[in-house]
Amino acid sequence: MQEIALILSYIVIAYMLFSSLSYLGLFALAYGKVKKENKLDKRESTEDFLRNQSTYPVSILVPAYNEEVGVVSTVRSLLALEYPEKEIIVIDDGSKDSTSLRMIEEFKMKKIPFAVRTHIETAEIEAIYQSSIFPYIRLIKKANGGKADALNAGVNLSSFPYFCAIDGDSILENDGLLKCMKPIIESDGQIIVTGGSVRIANGSTISRSKVELVGLPKSPIVIMQIVEYFRAFLIGRLALSHLNILLIVSGAFGVFNKERVIQAGGYNKNTVGEDMELVVRLHRLLREEKSKQRIEYIPDPVCWTEAPESLEVLRSQRIRWQRGLLETLWNHRKMMLNPKYGSIGLFSMPYFLFIELLGAVFEFIGYFIIFGGFFFSLVDPQVAGVMFLVTVFYGSLISALAVLLEELTLHKYPKVSHLMRLYFWALTEAFWYRPLMVLWRVRGIIATFQKKAHWGDMKRKGIST
Amino acid sequence: MNLTHFWILIASLFLGQLLLLLILAWRKQQSNKRESIIDRQYKLLTDSFSSHMMDPSDERFITELNASPYRLVVLERLLNHYVSVTKAGADSPAVSRLSEEFLSERYMKLLKRGNWAMRMNTLYFIEDFRMESLVPQLKEKLAKSSRLDQETQQLIRTLASLNETMAIGALAKYPDASARLYIDVLKRLDELTKLDELDIALKDENTNQTLKHSAISYIGMAGITLFLPRIEEELQHPEMETRIQALKAILHLQYMNSPSALAPFFQSTAWPERMFAAQIAGKLQLSRYKETLGELLGDPVWWVRYSSAEALTQFSEGDIVLTHLAESHPDRYARDMANQWKTSLLGSEQ
Repeated sequence: MQEIALILSYIVIAYMLFSSLSYLGLFALAYGKVKKENKLDKRESTEDFLRNQSTYPVSILVPAYNEEVGVVSTVRSLLALEYPEKEIIVIDDGSKDSTSLRMIEEFKMKKIPFAVRTHIETAEIEAIYQSSIFPYIRLIKKANGGKADALNAGVNLSSFPYFCAIDGDSILENDGLLKCMKPIIESDGQIIVTGGSVRIANGSTISRSKVELVGLPKSPIVIMQIVEYFRAFLIGRLALSHLNILLIVSGAFGVFNKERVIQAGGYNKNTVGEDMELVVRLHRLLREEKSKQRIEYIPDPVCWTEAPESLEVLRSQRIRWQRGLLETLWNHRKMMLNPKYGSIGLFSMPYFLFIELLGAVFEFIGYFIIFGGFFFSLVDPQVAGVMFLVTVFYGSLISALAVLLEELTLHKYPKVSHLMRLYFWALTEAFWYRPLMVLWRVRGIIATFQKKAHWGDMKRKGIST
Repeated sequence: MNLTHFWILIASLFLGQLLLLLILAWRKQQSNKRESIIDRQYKLLTDSFSSHMMDPSDERFITELNASPYRLVVLERLLNHYVSVTKAGADSPAVSRLSEEFLSERYMKLLKRGNWAMRMNTLYFIEDFRMESLVPQLKEKLAKSSRLDQETQQLIRTLASLNETMAIGALAKYPDASARLYIDVLKRLDELTKLDELDIALKDENTNQTLKHSAISYIGMAGITLFLPRIEEELQHPEMETRIQALKAILHLQYMNSPSALAPFFQSTAWPERMFAAQIAGKLQLSRYKETLGELLGDPVWWVRYSSAEALTQFSEGDIVLTHLAESHPDRYARDMANQWKTSLLGSEQ
């Protein structure tokens, strides 16, 4: 038994060191990219697009399920977006609350007949409404079919060549869409998808659907999620995007070339990770066509969203995410280590399998060995000690590094005290937050085999005040 | 490696991070302090700046500006704000004079030695403030560039904003330069120069098709009706892309000398030509094509059906025609489309 535990210990230690080094490698790649654009005057670099007739019009899709608290403020924030031509389509996916009613009342919407092109099959469309104040706001009321189905319905109704998918309780920064479209326009369509950064709004002051003052929440659970988002967005996505092997564009905020999405078959209704699955399918399409088109992550355009404050909701969110990751990797297993798919098959897919998915399993074993080593002599305490230190390195120091990267580059949090609090909370990650995440992520892997799809239910308080 | 080695490794990484954290915290504090001073100075100088812009003989602003420790940054922000909020800001002689006097030396240095982001910002500001004295430096920089990257693109735009026609020639060096970039250049030239360049671009001997398409497109966008006869001639062009650009331009110009030239496009095998023809017939209210629009409502392509129905709404009795078609058109999709348009005024924010 002890021998097996010892061998396992060495494997886990080697794995964690390897993972940490790969994170540091990604960090080095990300740093160069963000640092280069750090001092660029963002206003100057986008103002030309604001007045330019060549700026592609965009359809903004807002899938909503039981979002009566946040949907109106989300649409209001979209109205305030600086963008020359846009339409806003809210898709009520059979909500049980008053999502549609809130929209109809607030924007004085009227039922209209509409000749929808069915590019992608969806659940039954019950009615389409149009605002009489802002004719470019529409609402699709449809039977429940899941988030992917709702987005597909939005794609069918949209009239413009690009669409932006945004969650029903998120707030986009005024110039967020313009900044996301900039690389698409500048590349003359060679970039087919751009994903923006998602930030946590809890703790910030939001009024009239606009983030007025960036702040930190009191709840340690939310602060840890902020740190986690830094780690995921600033280190992971940016570096992967730099190599054109980014597999995830957040469902909360991304811009897509509609024709390409339709060609790929739209969002997949049979997975809970529809955002990642679509991006992988688009990569697959591009590689099979030997196309030079790209998928990019833009660190600066920010979409603010409400993070779960209770452990229960966080747990279900993380289980869902992990399940989505596993389902996507399984659905596209053909691409894994397949040279036909280039760096996606040879690097990105294995990276997501070994680091993002199985990382939870290795870490779980690691925590088990630390506990067993210190309290039940499962392994030599020296080995358990090394494991502990590696876990701290992997869990806490990398996250703390992500906080420093944010401050080095984007520095969105204005006060020195924000930086200090974020850094010191990041250091505690390996001791309480990470074990919880590991447990839930392992639970997510198990949940994949129990197949039960549903929207991520979350008690919204609403982020706008 | 044993436990001690790991302790040393982790401890040194932690200490390294701690040091970086302290440096960043100090930097943040300094930058917050600096920003707050600049902000205060900006507010303090706004009043005298406004007076100076209205009456350049009021020297109070210059005196106050010279006394400011961050005068270049403050002036840059004041000018930038002025240019973005006032209509004639960019062409204001006061903006050029102030920027030339205070900022040209700094910009010259930044163009040579600044990092990428700072060079880009400098190019934006030179364009905004119309700093003609920097043209030789910009040309020199352009001569050295060999790739049409973001910086070269902005360099070309900046030169165009200073009315340098060589910007078009510089773009032509790159076969992959897009129509969007040519349009960016054309729209920045002054009115007379622009007309000359458009004239050259439309001539048959011009073999640069991207430039020609950009010129046609720009004429439509800018509504330069002077070129309408030339655009109408392009409707006969053997290349489809040129004909489509001409149709688009006519749609924007909202006028045609000979509407009969539109007739062949309703039967075109290319759906974009049918779609634009339908849109033009609607926009120009060409009632002779009303019946054709009714037929196109049953076109196999969704966009053509959509545009035909939209076009019919432009006519005074469009509602009646659409109501009739919604009931009697032999094609089911045509009936759906007519139904949609008769009841709603579909819109998008423009």
